[in-house]
Amino acid sequence: MSSNYIWAAIVGMWVANFAIRFIPVAVVSRMDLPEPVMRWLRYVPVSVMGSLIALEVLRPGGEYQAPWNGAHLPAALVSMATYYYTKSFMGASVAGVVAFIVLRGFIG
Amino acid sequence: MPNSSTSAVAAVTTTPSPDVRARVLRGIRLGMPIFLGYLPVGMAFGVLARTLGFTVLQSVICSATALAGAGQFIALNIMKTGASVFAVLAATTVVNLRYVLFAATLSPHLRKTPLPLQAVLAYSLTDETFAINMADQRAGTSTDASMVGVGLISLIGWVTGTLVGATLSGFIGDPTSWGLDFAMPAMFAALLIALAENRRQALIGGVAGAFALALPLLEASGITLGTGWIIIISSMVAATIGAVTDR
Repeated sequence: MSSNYIWAAIVGMWVANFAIRFIPVAVVSRMDLPEPVMRWLRYVPVSVMGSLIALEVLRPGGEYQAPWNGAHLPAALVSMATYYYTKSFMGASVAGVVAFIVLRGFIG
Repeated sequence: MPNSSTSAVAAVTTTPSPDVRARVLRGIRLGMPIFLGYLPVGMAFGVLARTLGFTVLQSVICSATALAGAGQFIALNIMKTGASVFAVLAATTVVNLRYVLFAATLSPHLRKTPLPLQAVLAYSLTDETFAINMADQRAGTSTDASMVGVGLISLIGWVTGTLVGATLSGFIGDPTSWGLDFAMPAMFAALLIALAENRRQALIGGVAGAFALALPLLEASGITLGTGWIIIISSMVAATIGAVTDR
């Protein structure tokens, strides 16, 4: 892999990744969005998180995994419960990781 | 809800005051779990980039400028095949198309934010910073300064992880095999709880997850969707169901 090729990819990724983040912010924040669009946007965060977590927990590494067949789902539930009761992202993340590592020792 | 959104807008429009530093620091504290999650995954990126021929400097600059998690891993995978730079950029852009959704969702909260600061906040927009900031926004405590803090600590975590991984590449194995990278899914799980304001929202999150899990089954009929498309399609469909049924 040549050095020029790598630098070209790095610069290109920098521009591409910044453009798809910045252009929508710059444009949409200057528009008056109609109510139905605002209502739609209110459901985006929870939808994206639902998609991400479902794939991470039930399709880790791009392969389906039965919920009882790995530490992913129980550890995610530990994280959810910890957040629900403590309202701490830090506590929830740490609890989830500890649960994952411990449970992985038992059920692989 | 009207209360929290009004106070969020009020907080954002407040003119900068001596406690800007306190707000940035608050954002940094808020973003600490992101920092912890990014360290091991950034290390994994550093290790992989080095094995593919990146120098330490190139690995670190790539992470500092792209700040694109999955997008960077996909790029490495495609570069490995010797594909054109254009193909690499197309792939990383598709994987990160969801940033367009994030940016649009965040925009109504950034109406009073000056353009240069919008650029800074857009630069640090990732799955994790978006979710943390939206949850904070809903709690009515988010400010431009706190979002800068969240973005800053996330960037530091991602770049530090990459530096450590790229430097120690060859001495450490695959850092993701330690289990520490579960910090990301663990955070997503907590964020899902934080972002679900009510039962309908939680339900729509579940609907999105079900779509995300069902879409790969289309492979049987010859339609192969990458993870980037799966997340975009399932999120947009679920959000539409949520908006249409919300009367």
